[in-house]
Amino acid sequence: MAKQQTQQNELLKFVPRPNRPPITITYGPVGWLKKNLFGNIWNTLLTVAVFSLLFLLLKPFLEWTVLKAVWSASTRRECLEISPDGACWAGIFPWVNNLLYGLYPDNLQWRVNLGFAIGLLWFLPLALKKVHQKMVIALMGVILFPFLANYLFLGGDRSIFHYTIACSAFAYLLIVYVNIVLMYLCGKRLEQYLEPFMARFSQKNTTFLAHVTIWLLVTVLIAFIFRNQTLEHVPVDAWGGLFLTLIISGVSIVMALPIGIILALGRRSEMVIIKWFSICTIELVRSVPMITVLFMSVTMLPLFFPNTMELNKLAQVLVAVCLFAGAYMAETVRGGLQAIPRGQYDAAKSMGLSYWPTMILIILPQALRAMIPNIVTSFISLFKDTTLVSIIGLFDIMLMARNIAIDKNWLGLHAEPLVAISILFFVFCYTMSQYSQRLEKKLDTGR
Amino acid sequence: MNSELKNTHPDNDQSGRTAIKVNGLNKWYDEFHVLKDISLSVSEKEIIVICGPSGSGKSTFIRCINHLEPYQEGSISIFGEKLAKNKQSAALIRDNIGMLFQNFNLFPHLTILENCTLGPIWLRNIPEDQAIEQATALLDRVGIAKMAPKYPGQISGGQQQRVAIARSLAMEPKIMLFDEPTSALDPEMIKEVLDVMIDLAGSGMTMICVTHEMQFAHQVADRVVFMAEGEIVETGPPDQVLKNPEWDRTSQFLEHVLSH
Repeated sequence: MAKQQTQQNELLKFVPRPNRPPITITYGPVGWLKKNLFGNIWNTLLTVAVFSLLFLLLKPFLEWTVLKAVWSASTRRECLEISPDGACWAGIFPWVNNLLYGLYPDNLQWRVNLGFAIGLLWFLPLALKKVHQKMVIALMGVILFPFLANYLFLGGDRSIFHYTIACSAFAYLLIVYVNIVLMYLCGKRLEQYLEPFMARFSQKNTTFLAHVTIWLLVTVLIAFIFRNQTLEHVPVDAWGGLFLTLIISGVSIVMALPIGIILALGRRSEMVIIKWFSICTIELVRSVPMITVLFMSVTMLPLFFPNTMELNKLAQVLVAVCLFAGAYMAETVRGGLQAIPRGQYDAAKSMGLSYWPTMILIILPQALRAMIPNIVTSFISLFKDTTLVSIIGLFDIMLMARNIAIDKNWLGLHAEPLVAISILFFVFCYTMSQYSQRLEKKLDTGR
Repeated sequence: MNSELKNTHPDNDQSGRTAIKVNGLNKWYDEFHVLKDISLSVSEKEIIVICGPSGSGKSTFIRCINHLEPYQEGSISIFGEKLAKNKQSAALIRDNIGMLFQNFNLFPHLTILENCTLGPIWLRNIPEDQAIEQATALLDRVGIAKMAPKYPGQISGGQQQRVAIARSLAMEPKIMLFDEPTSALDPEMIKEVLDVMIDLAGSGMTMICVTHEMQFAHQVADRVVFMAEGEIVETGPPDQVLKNPEWDRTSQFLEHVLSH
């Protein structure tokens, strides 16, 4: 008995060791080179061989693009005289403005710049840490920003309704930024200052009421300030270049996801009519080439509308591209939905969530998160596919680039503009892909 | 508040009130007859343990109670209200029943705390700060308040199951269903979950547990239901069913389980 007692006393108390930070292995670039490329004699030989082969292959390209290129000339003939087998970059520079803005009047191009700047500003706060309700800001951006952008880009006499919404969009953005500044300076938002005042009128939702009140006031103020300003009308036909490409791809990328989600949910729905409608839409659109959809939208869509109604080509194209993108996105989203285990539905259902809350709160966030690589892949291909609109005569960046070769001074200048816009496309697409990878890392919750 | 009012109703004597009444339940998967004429009545605050070999329909049965599975024949009533396939029965389930699963089924994209506040905020319209307060208290009760800001993927299985219990409790259910809550756990973690369940049983919750933990059945069950081949073979207090079973099928099963 006594022995047992001592034995028990002898038991050691287990105290877990403190966590150490993970070991970081840092080989410098030189270390890496030594280890991987010049480790032994064979490695070294192989490296030299591969690099000389690469050099041989890339040399003509390098010569063409840089070494023998012509950077200033006034016509293609001049270019060829200076250096017959170099690139004629001189031919690109006079066209840069057209490549970017199409035929948008030079003195009004600030409107395009302003529009895109506002667009960027709108989505910039989403990357900041201290900003509240990012979803609301993003959603507002998707709903309100198009009105503001359209107002800026198109100009002309627009209806009061359109004017008001554009003003409210501007007001909203202004408030968002004032809030951000206040948040970083004083740690309080604008509506929180007004809250005590609003509490006199209503007990519930004072923050929300304060927010709306400020928004309305600022909208009225802005509408009053700009009441006498009318922007000069720029018809859609004059839009072009990268500007147009970005509009088409931007709208289709933003619309593709909601259309895709709705079609994907429809396809999985238990309601027969909705299910078959979704299946038919998806399969029909997916089994037709995009060019066909584009042509049909331009030639056939007017048949469905009364003669008196004037359709604009851009709107028709946008409808077609969105539908096309949506159908593809639907299948991507469906793949994501199928990957969600049944237990998630069970848990949501036994908690008492009905269909839409289950989808919005539980299923879609997980499905979309898992689908980020695929979704971004479709965004990238969509971005590139929009160049197809050049075929139906919209002067996007592609058609603009092809047009240089028809100009009488630069007749036959095909390769250089295409290389130039390839570089531009690469920059955009690579940015998207990098962003998606960052997003994936950020959203990874250690599953 | 509402439930207190109901309880004082003369017809509903506190302890004698039936929580769940299952009558002649039949279910088929295509040709396969999974549940055969299941009838069971569970009174309030009673703790029922359902055991039986795998494939005997235990899980299917309690999933039917929660309306996660459709059934072809029979009826299920909860506090006297019959379940039907409509929104009303969804509300009936939501207000009365909580369920735990073998695989925990926490929402992996939400933190532990968000898992527990989601239901109260979206379904009960409880203000966020109040919901957080309640959820923190519940997490404290199951012993993992520290984990609140973590994600389900970052904690152990036993902790996940305890979070699942807290998540169910946040909806203030009167009945809890357990579908093999410890089968996916290591022995060391089984205990921590069972302790919470025992604590819950002591608090007067109506519970139906599908489990292979015979020790637990002995300790807390008011009645043990033995199922095999989609039928209820026998029902009775744990001492009777687990020590002196009437049917050979039961004793066969018990031999297997206990010798394990």
